[in-house]
Amino acid sequence: MTTTTAIPAGKKRAPAATPKRHPKREREGAAWVFLSPWVLGASVLTLLPMAVSLYLSFTDYNLFDPPHWVGLRNYTQMFTEDPRYWRSVLTTVTYVVIAVPLQLALALLVALALKSMKRGKAFYRSAFYAPSLLGASMSIALVWRAVFNDGGTVDNLFGTGGWVNRPGWALLAVALLTVWQFGAPMVIFLAGLQQIPAELYEAAAVDGAGRWRQFVSVTVPMLSPVLFFNLVLQTIQAFQVFTPAFAVSAGKGGPADSTLVYTMYLYDRGFVASHMGYASAMAWVLLLVIGVVTAVLFRTSRSWVFYASEGDR
Amino acid sequence: MPGHRTKGFCASAVALVLCALAAGCGDSGESVGGGKAVLRYTWWGNPDRAERTEQAVALFEKQHPDISVQTSFSGYDAYKQKLAVQASGGDAPDVMQLDYRQIDQYASGGVLLDLAKQRAVLRTSEIDSGLLATGRVDGVQYAIPQGRGTETVVYDVKAWKDSGVPLPRAGWTWDDWAEAVRALRDRTGKPGATDPGQSEDAFEVWLRGRGKALYTKSGGLGFTADDLAEWWTFTDTLRRAGVVSPAEQTTQLDGSVENTPLGRGKAVSDTNWDAPSSGYLAIVPTGIALAPMPSDSDGTPGQYFKPSMFLGVSAHTGHAKEAAQLVDFLLNDQEAAKILGATRGIPVNETVRKETAPLLKDFDRTVADYQASLEGKLKDPPQAPPSGDNALQTTFQRDYDQVSYARMSPREAAENYVTEAKAELRS
Repeated sequence: MTTTTAIPAGKKRAPAATPKRHPKREREGAAWVFLSPWVLGASVLTLLPMAVSLYLSFTDYNLFDPPHWVGLRNYTQMFTEDPRYWRSVLTTVTYVVIAVPLQLALALLVALALKSMKRGKAFYRSAFYAPSLLGASMSIALVWRAVFNDGGTVDNLFGTGGWVNRPGWALLAVALLTVWQFGAPMVIFLAGLQQIPAELYEAAAVDGAGRWRQFVSVTVPMLSPVLFFNLVLQTIQAFQVFTPAFAVSAGKGGPADSTLVYTMYLYDRGFVASHMGYASAMAWVLLLVIGVVTAVLFRTSRSWVFYASEGDR
Repeated sequence: MPGHRTKGFCASAVALVLCALAAGCGDSGESVGGGKAVLRYTWWGNPDRAERTEQAVALFEKQHPDISVQTSFSGYDAYKQKLAVQASGGDAPDVMQLDYRQIDQYASGGVLLDLAKQRAVLRTSEIDSGLLATGRVDGVQYAIPQGRGTETVVYDVKAWKDSGVPLPRAGWTWDDWAEAVRALRDRTGKPGATDPGQSEDAFEVWLRGRGKALYTKSGGLGFTADDLAEWWTFTDTLRRAGVVSPAEQTTQLDGSVENTPLGRGKAVSDTNWDAPSSGYLAIVPTGIALAPMPSDSDGTPGQYFKPSMFLGVSAHTGHAKEAAQLVDFLLNDQEAAKILGATRGIPVNETVRKETAPLLKDFDRTVADYQASLEGKLKDPPQAPPSGDNALQTTFQRDYDQVSYARMSPREAAENYVTEAKAELRS
């Protein structure tokens, strides 16, 4: 912008000389230099391991001896001979169906409450967001286990005998740990809510819409892209749940396999039973399933997600 | 100005590089250069064992100022998993405590160092040759047994005596045991024992009493679904009657004494290995005692003396000699033996055993006396379990979980286990 005025008179010719030095190639080179950390990271830490894992999924590999090619055997064994595999699938789906809607509902509810707050908003926003930062840590998960164990807080309050040792309840304890970390979707909801123009509410109010009507006819449609974003993100995360299930069941997926979610069974096959090939095959099936679920979500989104720009078309 | 900025930039870049170099040198200087060799030594156990091990290691460091030892420990389940991950990544600790069940897999996987090559600093001449051989795979000495242990019925002495139920005696049978724990429940109101159905070790004792074994000589499964179904029916019946601890308690077992019903004050007795039972002392204030495992009804004992645990050295260690020195110290040093006592079982070094025997006190004395009472009465130990066994121990607990939560009949769970075990042992 101000280059011409800033360059001293004597150097005026310099810009004319540069085109000869292949500026495009030079810029490209610079781009690669700046990209190199990412390219290195992505290839060494992501693509290479993925390729290795894909290869291993067709082998029998016990971590110690060299991998031994078995073709599709891991996959056929998984689908036809392993009842515990299907149990882990069912457990994971149950978990996703419980945890994701609960978490999003709570996040939206708190975001709505925060939006209408006049004072102390920043404090509460941070307070509710904190679990999202802390929750992934092992220590919180262990505290969770203690709270829901027999003799723990929940046991003392409700006399339930502790949830983590009851097959029907343990998964709920795991799901609640995820639900409790609703801070991240909440912050996104809050941002989305603040984007909705006040005129829309005013217009709705003039038309005689009550608070509920405003919520259904203004807030929900205007918020639907954000809702969709959160739904996709949380679903993908929920399918990969590991830490809470691991910690709450003390690494065993118990009681009676009730918290043996997919990734925990994968971990068990790979690192406890030393069947890395089988574990890799499981990982690839999970990747495919998450891909399909996400695609389905995107497909259904056409009928319920409303983008403001659509009005212009 | 731009010139200044460049200089500043260069200066800070140079400083950064120097810092990195200095830091790097600092690290490597410690481990490779003339300075200290840093060894990582890991084990599983309870806080009592940890305290004594730390003391012994401190003494070792004092004797070898050029070696520094970093220690870490955890409960058995967690240890087993962590070590498997480390070993597979080529990052096994320099010196590691190993279980009978891990040796075959780790040795054949190239994780362990051939210790015979460290003979100059690691003496094995005073270890019973039969016992020493348990650490060999294909004729190579990959690990050295550290102590001798055996299964035991460990009980809360005061609670048992106060109940008026006759104390356990040598040669008692599984039926006597069942009767005793039933009477204990009736008179104390607490389950008489931890449900032994989840324990592969207890099952093995029961099985051996009937002349069978967990594994055949060729590494196949040594029992049938019928045998396991019978064992689980036996424990399931007791559990349903409230005689042994409920499912909610058994599912919390993870190899640490703190999480056992006896340790939580929710049962009168438990089945465990003798040495780690020292951990109960701190949490059962009224005191504990050891009794032999029940025999079969015809009097055949199922329990046996097992090398309680081993020490192995990583094949990838940069300090093979120093690591072997530490192993030698832990096994053969007189002072170390005094500190360690019987926390890992009765010492394997004959001289050390003889000289420290009179010095043993408290619980170490109890373990030594207990083992002495069984001397000559037990059958030979089984050979080291095949590699697949490592995972089967967990499978055993999981399948029994299905029984204790009444989700499967003992027969269904037993058939499940046998199918899984056969697949595991084949691969």
